Amino acid sequence: MPLAAKTYPVPDIAAAQELYHANGWTDGLPIVPPTEHAVAACLNWAMTPPDQLLGIEPVRAVPITAEKLAINAVMAGCLPMHFPVVVTAVTAMLQPEFLLHGATSSTGGCAVLIVLNGPIRRELGAAGTFNALGNADRATAVIGRAIRLALINILEVRPGGIDRSTLGHPGKFSYCIAEDEEDTTWNPLHVQRGLPPEVSAVTVLAAGAPRQIMNEWTTDPEEILETFAAEMRANMRHYSIWAGNYALIIPKQLREHLQAAGWSKTDIATFIHVRARVRRGEWAEVGKRAVVRDQADTEYAALESPDRLLIVAAGGPAGGFGAVIPPWLGNKSIAVTLPIGACVDCGPPA
Amino acid sequence: MVLRVLDPSNETTPPLGVLAPRVASLAGATVGFISNGKEGTHGFFAHLDRMLREEFGVAEVIRRTKSNYSAPADAHIVDELRRWQAVVTGIGD
Repeated sequence: MPLAAKTYPVPDIAAAQELYHANGWTDGLPIVPPTEHAVAACLNWAMTPPDQLLGIEPVRAVPITAEKLAINAVMAGCLPMHFPVVVTAVTAMLQPEFLLHGATSSTGGCAVLIVLNGPIRRELGAAGTFNALGNADRATAVIGRAIRLALINILEVRPGGIDRSTLGHPGKFSYCIAEDEEDTTWNPLHVQRGLPPEVSAVTVLAAGAPRQIMNEWTTDPEEILETFAAEMRANMRHYSIWAGNYALIIPKQLREHLQAAGWSKTDIATFIHVRARVRRGEWAEVGKRAVVRDQADTEYAALESPDRLLIVAAGGPAGGFGAVIPPWLGNKSIAVTLPIGACVDCGPPA
Repeated sequence: MVLRVLDPSNETTPPLGVLAPRVASLAGATVGFISNGKEGTHGFFAHLDRMLREEFGVAEVIRRTKSNYSAPADAHIVDELRRWQAVVTGIGD
């Protein structure tokens, strides 16, 4: 099937860069010129016709077709093998509970965190080890960037346009990590969230910037997790008190202490659910006395239930570090996990 | 060599609503406020309410608050606004 997008002739790659920058079609960085050949290769790899409707953004009724998404994926640097992940991530973002318009237009300035799980990580070379939250590898870098470019170009989520972020954060260039499933005894995130271990999956979360913690002076699980819980409490006091999906990124050094003591992800989530709580009155200690009102003793939990915590084993092998990734704003947007190229719990065609 | 590169934007324009006819005068009108419910709206809308009644002769101001400030207005609010002559809403924080 021929592609439907308008084409532009350009004499060379430099001219292509200027065309895309001039039209506001980039994130400020150079792009890979999306030729028909490269875009068709992505669509063919995903066995997706160009006019396939991936979904409609409900607030502004904007359709997202496979062709437009593939154009943006190529621009981000995606190879065809990366494209099914991008398709699944966008499909997940279009689920009503993700509240895509709100998450991408809010002054709160979150980015879409993407977590990769399952066999596809190894096929793509997404390691989830050194520099896991930075530019860890090609796959996570380009997949995360493809999502941002698609938001900019297809949904017009440009700074000052639909994107009303006051600050934003660097994850808005690319915010994708893989779980280091090979180097942990824990269930992968997608299994914790109900998918079979043999499928590959994408989890999306409308998320703030990572808040790094450090505690390399204990091997005690409760002490280690208390540092994570304290960072969540700090986020509740300084940013938003409302409960939502938080993600914990736990690298190998701290992970091994927890695993050696027999703590599973479920055990960790149960502990954090209890410990990550603040009283509204604590707002008075951080300059927010005006909104304490007569509810100083009201307790707020960071998690409505333990299963709202997304625990990801990732990071380099050395260093007693970890990260708390807070939700954009409470439970306005809920994390979504979808399998890649598979249908789970669905019956045969009627 | 000429490269032919593709347009990454959404080339189809989503359907836009049609603006309601402008009201000639606010005197005697019913005006609705759709608030996102954030803290700053309380003082703003209280002041606007007073201005519209005292300076423009508005007969009635109806205030409604969305159940989710990051989502579109609830269906029951949209249904109700058909009975108003003007509505105040928009992007803000």
